[in-house]
Amino acid sequence: MAGDDAVTFAEQRLTIEELETPVIQIWEGVLALPLVGAVDTRRAQLMNEKLLVRIVETGSEIVLVDISGVPVVDTAVSGHLLETVSAARLLGAEVIIVGLSARTAMTLVQLGQDLAGVTTRTTMARGLQLALAQLGYKVTKQDAGMLAEPS
Amino acid sequence: MTEIPIIKVGETLIAVVREDITDEDALQFQEALNGRLERFGATGVLIDVTLVATIDSFLGRLLHEIAVGARLLGAQTVVAGMQPAVAMTLVELGLELKGVRTVLTPEKALALLAHERNNLRRKA
Repeated sequence: MAGDDAVTFAEQRLTIEELETPVIQIWEGVLALPLVGAVDTRRAQLMNEKLLVRIVETGSEIVLVDISGVPVVDTAVSGHLLETVSAARLLGAEVIIVGLSARTAMTLVQLGQDLAGVTTRTTMARGLQLALAQLGYKVTKQDAGMLAEPS
Repeated sequence: MTEIPIIKVGETLIAVVREDITDEDALQFQEALNGRLERFGATGVLIDVTLVATIDSFLGRLLHEIAVGARLLGAQTVVAGMQPAVAMTLVELGLELKGVRTVLTPEKALALLAHERNNLRRKA
């Protein structure tokens, strides 16, 4: 049935939309948005909407946007990222872009997109460290002897 | 025309922008706020926009102007409680309210203003 196909298609699309823009609260006041795959205008818009609503819901102050899974970061993508940064700022949240590779950094510099005023880190771990420090948390490791397995 | 009330609490002026604010109301508000700052010399201005469902380019620009004017009169402006849809619209309009501090809730705005005030005192 053609009607059934249409319904399935709509459902699949919804599932994909849910999957492609997960916004996870990883700490009190910290949200993570891992991006995987290409970022087009429609997706960027969806991502922004969802992120802003989540910022308000959770009262978050910092958002870590991980772009390590984005294959190509061109002018369009960096433009979308800057929109996210500005919109989040209007709600009082700071965006830290994490997962920048050396190649991405090179590309951005060559494109003249220096992401001025945006805090960036190479890995999610470093971004989280910065976020926690900004929120006044101090992360310390317990006595190494007490841990069964070295990490 | 409906006037936006401006309340003075300590060194902070607080205003809650209503849902149906018109351009005239907004201009009157800007004038009234500057007048209060001139007379009382508050160091902080808190503008709550929780109720506002749409901020057009006029109001967006005016918020920016209000912040700049307040700074010239010695006060820092914090805008609190912006709706996600409003933030999206402003960014799409290219109005990023540069120079205006924005926070999620009025509580956070007051905390921020208190913090900045202490910083200034320490420097003075």
